[in-house]
Amino acid sequence: MGRNQKFSIKNTPKETLEKWYYLMFLGRKIDEKAPNYLKQALGWSYHAPYAGHDGIQLAIGQVFEKNKDYLFPYYRDMLTALSAGITETEIILNGISKADDPASGGRHMSNHFAKPEWNIENVSSCTGNHTLHAVGVARALKRYGEKAVAISSQGESSVSEGYVYEAITGADREQLPVIFVIQDNGYGISVPKKDQTANRKVIDNFSGYKNLHLIHCNGKDVFDSMNAMDSAKSYVLETGNPVILHANCVRMGSHSNSDAHELYRDEDERNYVKQYDPLAKFRRMLLRYKRFAEDELETIEKKALANLKKAHKKAITSADPSSESIHDFVTPEALVSEQYPEGIHNIKNKEKIKLITALNQTLKDEFRRNPDTYIWGQDMANKEKGGIFNVSKGMQQEFGKERVFNAPIAEDFIVGTANGMSRYNEKLRIVVEGAEFADYFWPAMEQLVESSHEYYRTNGKFVPNITIRLASGGYIGGGLYHSQNIEAVLTTFPGIRVVYPSFADDAAGLLRTSIRSRGITLFLEPKALYNDPKAEAIVPDDFMVPFGKARIRREGEDMTIITYGNTLPMSLEVADILEKEDGVKVEVLDLRSLSPLDTDAIIKSVKKTNKVLVVHEDKVFGGFGGEVAARIASDAFEYLDAPVRRVGAEFTPVGFNRILEKAILPDNQKILEASRELLLY
Amino acid sequence: MKNIGLFYSFNTKNTSAAAQIIKSELGEKVEAVNVEEATEDDFKRFSNFILGVPTWWDGELPNYWDEFLPCLEDDSMEGKTFALYGAGDQKGYPDNFVDAIGLMVNFIEARGGNIIGFVPNEGYDFHASKALRNGQFVGLPLDFENQEDMVKSRILNWLKTVINDFQ
Repeated sequence: MGRNQKFSIKNTPKETLEKWYYLMFLGRKIDEKAPNYLKQALGWSYHAPYAGHDGIQLAIGQVFEKNKDYLFPYYRDMLTALSAGITETEIILNGISKADDPASGGRHMSNHFAKPEWNIENVSSCTGNHTLHAVGVARALKRYGEKAVAISSQGESSVSEGYVYEAITGADREQLPVIFVIQDNGYGISVPKKDQTANRKVIDNFSGYKNLHLIHCNGKDVFDSMNAMDSAKSYVLETGNPVILHANCVRMGSHSNSDAHELYRDEDERNYVKQYDPLAKFRRMLLRYKRFAEDELETIEKKALANLKKAHKKAITSADPSSESIHDFVTPEALVSEQYPEGIHNIKNKEKIKLITALNQTLKDEFRRNPDTYIWGQDMANKEKGGIFNVSKGMQQEFGKERVFNAPIAEDFIVGTANGMSRYNEKLRIVVEGAEFADYFWPAMEQLVESSHEYYRTNGKFVPNITIRLASGGYIGGGLYHSQNIEAVLTTFPGIRVVYPSFADDAAGLLRTSIRSRGITLFLEPKALYNDPKAEAIVPDDFMVPFGKARIRREGEDMTIITYGNTLPMSLEVADILEKEDGVKVEVLDLRSLSPLDTDAIIKSVKKTNKVLVVHEDKVFGGFGGEVAARIASDAFEYLDAPVRRVGAEFTPVGFNRILEKAILPDNQKILEASRELLLY
Repeated sequence: MKNIGLFYSFNTKNTSAAAQIIKSELGEKVEAVNVEEATEDDFKRFSNFILGVPTWWDGELPNYWDEFLPCLEDDSMEGKTFALYGAGDQKGYPDNFVDAIGLMVNFIEARGGNIIGFVPNEGYDFHASKALRNGQFVGLPLDFENQEDMVKSRILNWLKTVINDFQ
């Protein structure tokens, strides 16, 4: 307790103290009442009581400025939300998952309070996942010169997550305006913090960071918390550097209503933490220092209880979400070009260009068109190097280091900060190279999954506008870690689009549509075709390919090969051989877009040829072709004259030696043999 | 020597036990004051103090001290002399051993108060303490959890030096 503190029991204006006491008392009553909703089968099945965190939560909400700062509260932040301006009715609407819940309309788990229209962000249940989003949006605040901060609030155990370190390291390196508030109650559910970190105060782990300022406070004390948060914000606004603030709290109850802390905390400890009750302490001080008389406090309490009663009545009679709404806000509507509604062109008087050239030109065109486009990734830009395969060559020189820049070797950071930065406004379009190779994307899956359901979870209030480019596939002698196809995994997630073009024109058209559309697109690039003449094509200016539109690359009547990516040129060559040597006409359908999938085009072709071979580079077992084959079996069985056959990789990793790679991956010969077998039916 | 104000919480176990030893040893020289009910006037009556300041949780002052200190935060403590003792747990909280003594000393020194009763850190085993200054504690650490058999002798030895330093 130093001298001249901005907030103290003696100098804080009475009306401010009254507001704080009202919020703290009201919050505590809701915290105590929440379990009753579950007992009465009204909802709120997940409730993480905040009692013991009262000081710091009040302070976070009080320093947050809505529509200016960005606040990322975690699942224990009920008082934070109330203090930031969310009403008691809205708190209960969230708790009992009603349609008018401002966080998610009943879609997200209870006790995840948010109001995205005020920049009180809707966060994941994965602890600390939003730390990367706070860093991302802070990058935008800095870029656009805002005098505002991003506040990431979380428990101390979240700092055990590697991505939290990625986030804090990034904020320190980029010198971003973030306040990381660590509410330390000593436990991650039942795991004591000694099992999480060697330093009992986990922010001390960051004491060597160059630009990160460390602040400790007593999160159970209103004044210490207010002074700490106030000074943290001032520091960030004045210096532009991040702060990590450690608030010592206690958890007076269990982790949640599915936890019983009696199982791991003895009676002494349970009593001990109650001695700390921040609300009781604040009340005692208000009386001791004669700021309020007992009857004045009772009047405030009565007002809070009356308002809570009204909120309860209003919330409980509020509408539930309708079952008809389940498909709303899964993926935003994508743009469809008026000029190219089918994503097909007939331009002939132009030179063909390579796939890599088409990607590079399209990126540059879109960056010229929209000044709020950004691209980052590993190896993105360093002098003459522009991307691991030089897809982004020349971009930093043309668009500058603020729009085109390297990312650290941290894939989750790359995707997570893209999600965060895109929160700044709808104009922003972010392209990332998600990893050096698709094989290295797995660490980013945590943020990809998170991002995939932002739109659904916020009931349409937020969607990250990101194109994630990934150099995919094999045929380069790359072995286990430079040959993977990961589309079968990616397509299982609703909320993200997955495209896998093969030819230069489709790549340009799909990339343009991805960048201009809202939402997330996984843009998979068959790296073996980057410079292959087989993938060259004429690319019209402003060409766009809509999502979910397959393209017949070769007309035929006797059999259909459904394919995409690296195996498209192979399939076309096989079709030529079959026509020449066997006199059969094979139709080759390029899916281009896997999710959404052009089921109509597939069924139409099956009806025409009655025989289908599904070909892709990925493994047959568990590959995306299984979905295609199942759709055909389900929707077009009566049109089939033969079983649906599939050609793809063996169910092994891809061996490095070229002999192994050839034996494992599909090729012309394997496609040809399978085609001939199928044509015998 | 003027009377000594012995300020501690009467609702504590270990801190009160230590206060009983001090009272027995110093007799009428000390006057006990329950810090939970203390007023600014209580504080003003004394110029010599022994304060019982145990460490709570990860290195904090107990609530009752936290709640009392605003009474004093605007006052000068020049001319007043303070000796502090406090309970801590070397094994359970080795990173914050008797931090509260350090916090309280900082508060007093910032207002001109004089601290006496420093104790060498020999015989203790911990990682860090806000009460440690140049190899000495700025008060008397008592560890009832791990060194209870040393509590009484430590208090008596400490009082011998402290009593001579009060004016």
